[in-house]
Amino acid sequence: MQEEKLSTSKKWRNVYVLVIGTLVLLIIFFYFFTKQFA
Amino acid sequence: MSILDWFVLIITLLAVITYGIYKSKSEKTLDGYFKSSNSMSWFLILLSIMGTQASAITFLSAPGQAYTDGMRFVQYYFGLPLAMVVLCVTFIPIYHKLKVYTAYEFLEQRFDLKTRALASVLFLIQRALSTGISIYAPSIILSSLLGWNIYYTNLVMGGFLIIYTVSGGTKAVTYTQMQQLLIVFIGMFLAGYMVVHMLPPNVSFYDALHVAGKMGKLNVIETKIDVTDSHWWKDKYNIWSGLIGGFFLALSYFGTDQSQVGRYLTAKNTKESRIGLLMNGLVKVPMQFLILMVGSLVFVFYMFYQSPVFFNQKEVEKVLATDYKTSFINLQAKNDSLNNIKQIQTHQLVDAIHQKNDIQIRNTQASLKEIDKQTKVIRADAVAVMKKADKTADTNDTNYIFLYFVVQNLPRGLIGLLIAMIFLAAWGSIAAALNSLASTTVIDLYKRMWVKEQTETHYFKASRWFTFGWGLFCIATAMFASKLGSLIEAVNVLGSLFYGTILGIFLVAFYMKKVGGKAVFYAAVTTEVFVIAIYIADVISFLWLNVIGCLLVMGFAFVLQKLLQNKKAPY
Repeated sequence: MQEEKLSTSKKWRNVYVLVIGTLVLLIIFFYFFTKQFA
Repeated sequence: MSILDWFVLIITLLAVITYGIYKSKSEKTLDGYFKSSNSMSWFLILLSIMGTQASAITFLSAPGQAYTDGMRFVQYYFGLPLAMVVLCVTFIPIYHKLKVYTAYEFLEQRFDLKTRALASVLFLIQRALSTGISIYAPSIILSSLLGWNIYYTNLVMGGFLIIYTVSGGTKAVTYTQMQQLLIVFIGMFLAGYMVVHMLPPNVSFYDALHVAGKMGKLNVIETKIDVTDSHWWKDKYNIWSGLIGGFFLALSYFGTDQSQVGRYLTAKNTKESRIGLLMNGLVKVPMQFLILMVGSLVFVFYMFYQSPVFFNQKEVEKVLATDYKTSFINLQAKNDSLNNIKQIQTHQLVDAIHQKNDIQIRNTQASLKEIDKQTKVIRADAVAVMKKADKTADTNDTNYIFLYFVVQNLPRGLIGLLIAMIFLAAWGSIAAALNSLASTTVIDLYKRMWVKEQTETHYFKASRWFTFGWGLFCIATAMFASKLGSLIEAVNVLGSLFYGTILGIFLVAFYMKKVGGKAVFYAAVTTEVFVIAIYIADVISFLWLNVIGCLLVMGFAFVLQKLLQNKKAPY
């Protein structure tokens, strides 16, 4: 039970990292988008 | 509007109302009415959250914002994905574990009844007034551009959705939001496609982006803060205010505003709530980017074709009926001749882009920017003339730009669809707001304090009556809004005045386990006074008020708790 709970929380942690990583990638994309057309 | 436009508009609205009524038949309990008996999947949660946040003014204002100020408004949403993560870690597990109907119910379990009542009342005040304005704001734009009666427009904007919101509660709201968003996305996509399609034949989408970029309208990221400017801290949209201010705003809006909390409390379980919120964090930023891009493309469209000196034609008609007619017509003529030069130069810019001639690009860019500067001066002069003619004139036409473009340029049928889109976007957020106003009134006040021992059927019927009552109140606010004048803007920032305080209460509840009800209650009341004083002093952008309010509540609560403990110690 405890092990299952731990693996679930680890899975969610990976999801959160994925979300924040996507935000960082978006900001990088926007930065180059702004530069490209300026 | 043509008959075809009326046909498309009426059929679309009727279809959504009928669908809402059809979906509302099964609900007969309080749990079903406010929480859809916890039956919603993450996909419905995602659409419902998006439909609640995106009001009509989002789709009217954002393209206009990009037209005047470029795309930097998108940075305002950068804090949102981060806030979604915090919500998933902290707020959602507790809300689901306690099986609450409203966010404020949790505050009584953590603190006491008076803190719960305070947060509920703050929410009711700001949500009810801002919902009234969400009815009025798109109505005044539609009535100005299409010559409709403002009172009837208010009635359609805020009235028809009451039918399915009262009868079907949360379930009807969520399912209709799904239909509404689908139509809104189709409408925005077609509008974007049509702008590009109507550009001169030698101008591609890629060229249009280049032109917009050269004119400073694709400024998605702004990292610079000019500290030499004495008003630098008032700058609303740079990456820092977006990440920090946007984070606190999103955290308070999605974590403590019942109109949003009520959406994800309908989920089957915590997993579905979490996925819905996280997907919202991922989808919202690109979605806002695309909506703003439509505005930048409309700007490019008007680089090739004549643009009016002022987009709100009702105000133009008013000034033309006064002694200032000649001065205004002179300004219009100046604007038109500048437009002619601008069109020639823009074609030259596109040719230079095709030839990859950097020197030519820079030269044309510089002269186009100079023309843009002169156009802004003419617009400012026109506004000054309008103000002289009528001191109460509405001199901000940002929200009129997109709809002016739609009505003047798009083909028949599509105009009807885009106006239906405005109504449906409004309905989605207003319906969720009415539902949340009713749930907070019934659960946190009526059932908890006023009429305690009654049957489930009694509370279910009361919920329907409160939904109806709040609907009438919001329409009445919209009807009186035209008399509020400049107060409307104050009502719009009302959210920022209260959100920080409410978020502070919740963060104390989650993270400061030793602080009790008395300390947090007085901390919240003191903070509210401070926040209102800061707002009146007008020293900082309203986006930062959330951060200040939240941190002040936490700080005051900590100090007060220490003082209360010291006082108790001798006994």
